[in-house]
Amino acid sequence: MELSKAELLRVYWIMKAIREFEDRVHVEFATGDIPGFVHLYAGEEAIAAGVCIHLRDIDKIASTHRGHGHCIAKGCDIEGMMAEIYGKKAGLCGGKGGSMHIADLAKGMMGANGIVGGGPPLVCGAGLAAKQLNNGGVAVAFVGDGGSNQGTTFESLNLASVWNLPCVFVVENNGYAEATASKYSVACDDVSDRASGFNMPGVTIDGHDFFAVEEAAREAVRRAREGGGPTLIECKVNRYYGHFEGDAQTYRGPNEVEKIRESRDCIDNFVKRVTAAGMIERKELENIEREVGALIERSVEKAKEASKPEAADLLTDVYVSY
Amino acid sequence: MITRLLSALGAVGVARVLLMPDVDGIAHRVRRAVDLRPPPGQTWPEVAFLDMPIECVPDDTVNATGRMVAAGVGVIVVLGGDGTNRLVASASGSTPILPLSTGTNNVFPQVREATIAGLAAGLVATGQVPPGETQVRSKVLQVEVNGAYRGPALVDAAIASDRWIGSRAVWRPESLQQLFVTFAEADAIGLSSIAGLLRPVSRQAAHGLRVDLLPPETAMTTLMAPIAPGLIAPVGISHVEEIHPGKAQKVNISRGVIALDGEREIEFGPTDRVVIRLSTDGPVTIDIDWVMAQAARGGLLTSRRSPDSCQE
Repeated sequence: MELSKAELLRVYWIMKAIREFEDRVHVEFATGDIPGFVHLYAGEEAIAAGVCIHLRDIDKIASTHRGHGHCIAKGCDIEGMMAEIYGKKAGLCGGKGGSMHIADLAKGMMGANGIVGGGPPLVCGAGLAAKQLNNGGVAVAFVGDGGSNQGTTFESLNLASVWNLPCVFVVENNGYAEATASKYSVACDDVSDRASGFNMPGVTIDGHDFFAVEEAAREAVRRAREGGGPTLIECKVNRYYGHFEGDAQTYRGPNEVEKIRESRDCIDNFVKRVTAAGMIERKELENIEREVGALIERSVEKAKEASKPEAADLLTDVYVSY
Repeated sequence: MITRLLSALGAVGVARVLLMPDVDGIAHRVRRAVDLRPPPGQTWPEVAFLDMPIECVPDDTVNATGRMVAAGVGVIVVLGGDGTNRLVASASGSTPILPLSTGTNNVFPQVREATIAGLAAGLVATGQVPPGETQVRSKVLQVEVNGAYRGPALVDAAIASDRWIGSRAVWRPESLQQLFVTFAEADAIGLSSIAGLLRPVSRQAAHGLRVDLLPPETAMTTLMAPIAPGLIAPVGISHVEEIHPGKAQKVNISRGVIALDGEREIEFGPTDRVVIRLSTDGPVTIDIDWVMAQAARGGLLTSRRSPDSCQE
């Protein structure tokens, strides 16, 4: 089934919210008010939106260092996210996780992850739980091209296949593992080529194209939900900012990002397609842009005003009881 | 594959080979092989790489083809599948191409041993086998939207009811509405197998074929077709008809996508006018069998010593 107009409007809201969120964090981080590291997702919005539009509340995702986009696409509260990144008590994790450990289990977002390749093993656990509970849940791991080379990822692909888990592994190949080009560090043309070694379907798609991601994810999620086992999806994409904020990006070519922004931007591409197809009016998109802009502005204001965790909060939320 | 081609090209006297650069390591491995020198007893041509930027986009192939044509190459050996050959064909003009399949889901390029292909390419490039007799103009499907040329298809153009190009590959038979083919072989893999299993058409035939499709549950005739590796699906057949060069073929739905050689490439809507034409003005391809038969007939790879030189 192709997406309805309401779903496409929701997709635009998600992609626009991610872009506005990340562009604003880029600006605010430079002021020095945000503690720790941030890794921005701008440029890759079509992937988070294209995958998560097919997920339900019961489904789980595990993210990477670059997790803000996945959070927004999975439905996390944006004001809570911004407060978390500012390290404030009102944040999704009480201000203790920050950007690299942001999570919201109530939304099925198992967390950004400080460990490269840390998400796939978690997703195997979530997939096994869904299978045991027989609740139709699906678990999705997002990893980068660097994460795709980790042993944890290989082991998880193998385990998910052996146990026929309802898992989807999404490799966001943005061309660089920190500063190392994937063309150097990945020993095959396409990461999806590795899927056949784990006896699962694999596909490589254009991560700038929402409709390519959406279709591949729809099939993978359907297969997982119906008991058909895991899938590996590689999305070739580009990030607009550095590996982390402050990265001088000396490893990138001159005007590399500008060229991609001009010719392959996923949001511009989406707008052209849905308006040319007559599915959505430009003014409907403008309404969303205004709504998202106000939401991000409000989120930053509230995050700045919010209080920090106190000493008494230090030992709370450390352990969970079963 | 490339080193075998180099050995064969060198053996028949090709002096210089131009290679397209890449970022996937193929050019790097060729450079290393050249640096290590050819195996004993073999002479490789001089190997040069095109001085061009690589953007990792399809236009890289078109760009490289244009540069090779401008450099006056005798033959372009194409390593790839239907899609790569389609890109090369869009810019190769009258320069002959020799398509070699590097995958399993191809119809236009054949699976041939690279050494033999290299000998055939070299014999044509050096003029030892006259070019005019070895070359075949392939048929091609030309697609126009609102009067603008949108590209060729070397094997098939399919009309599907999908709204979006999506992940490109065509794998849902229920969305297929029409199929146009330049040729159709009964043992082919992919969409052209639908036509090939109904009414085979040779590469050399003057016509192509149009097949109108229906959902299998509503069709009087249903065909089990291998539309992709590992995917044999029922397709409903409504109508089959020969198509001839130059005649405009219209599509039978108002909104959908056009897949060229198995990949969805063009979205169209109710206000767009889509026209597909069969043409005999496709890429010039080299018939390896014919060239090698000529080589045997003319003794092109045979050398004889005079009786005197054999006496001790």
